[in-house]
Amino acid sequence: MTNAIEITDLTYRKNYKTILADVNLTIATGRVVGLLGENGAGKTTLMRLLADLAKGNHGNIAVAGATRGPQRRANLSFTEHLQGFRPGMKLREVADFYAAVYPDFAAQKYLDLITFLQLDDDLALNQLSRGMREKFIIALTLARQARVYLLDEPFAGIDSMSRKRIIGSIIRWKQPEATMLISDHYVTEIAPLLDEVVVVKDQTVVAHKSSEAIRQDFGIGVEAFYEGIYEGEIHDDEL
Amino acid sequence: MQFDDKVPIYYQIKTMFYHQIIAGELAPGAKLPAVRQVAVDLTVNVNTAQRALSEMVTEGILDAKRGRGNFVTEDVAKIAALKHRLIVQDVAALYTQLHALRLDDAAVVQAVQTYIESKGETS
Repeated sequence: MTNAIEITDLTYRKNYKTILADVNLTIATGRVVGLLGENGAGKTTLMRLLADLAKGNHGNIAVAGATRGPQRRANLSFTEHLQGFRPGMKLREVADFYAAVYPDFAAQKYLDLITFLQLDDDLALNQLSRGMREKFIIALTLARQARVYLLDEPFAGIDSMSRKRIIGSIIRWKQPEATMLISDHYVTEIAPLLDEVVVVKDQTVVAHKSSEAIRQDFGIGVEAFYEGIYEGEIHDDEL
Repeated sequence: MQFDDKVPIYYQIKTMFYHQIIAGELAPGAKLPAVRQVAVDLTVNVNTAQRALSEMVTEGILDAKRGRGNFVTEDVAKIAALKHRLIVQDVAALYTQLHALRLDDAAVVQAVQTYIESKGETS
């Protein structure tokens, strides 16, 4: 089976500054993967490179087998901060735009999602709280029938009820063959959701492990594993 | 359900179902929820829920009926054996912990005895 994501020898510089260096990462189809790292570690840049929103890297990127930018974009669903939409635009109108632009946007799935997430799509973008905004991004992103979904810090700064709803919607609506990459910098609440974790540190991927293997082999939680890597308590030869 | 992040989640799910089966909350022949429903109810990954259920099938405690779902075995001997296994496991853990506190066998029995006799008084 084709892997969902294959990155080989990826290096990316912007304004003479190295953002990512020598990244190698293979993610199998159907997994839910946590992309963990401190702010500024390069998580968002990695997602933007996968989605062909950042360009000019060295090395190869394949998304569900596709290497060229436009095909990669067609294979993955990524909603970056709802930029480019008028603040007064209603959610319904944004969804209509998505339906027009993306052939894989499933209108019924979108309606099911906003109902489950308790969103009123008659509201305008500038009427949304932080949590509602994240929920709306989730609804738009998951409503597409893509091979790979990228969720960039969907739980940052939102209340616990919204977080539970979002996690519930991911479990409920992820098709078995779909792959999901979720970035975050604190992990405990989403740990039971993750098949695997990828840790980004010092501009590269330093660890990639199954969450159950972390619990089994190290006898520690995903959060402790992640912190252990950042604090230098877990060394390369132990991974 | 709150999971202990240090212990494999699939193992904790199995243990939870095994306790429900032994306590009779899930009777012999009872149908378990579908994998995705288990995942949603427990807020865990579908693959993790799948692994827990598959192992319970392998261990003979669940019968997988094609196209119909997973059912608690109607073989009560298997459930009795499971109960025995869990009791031994829990007693072994207690015994190991008390031994680590340098209690000898007689003292372990005494400690358990004293606990049982006194627990009615405090509550």
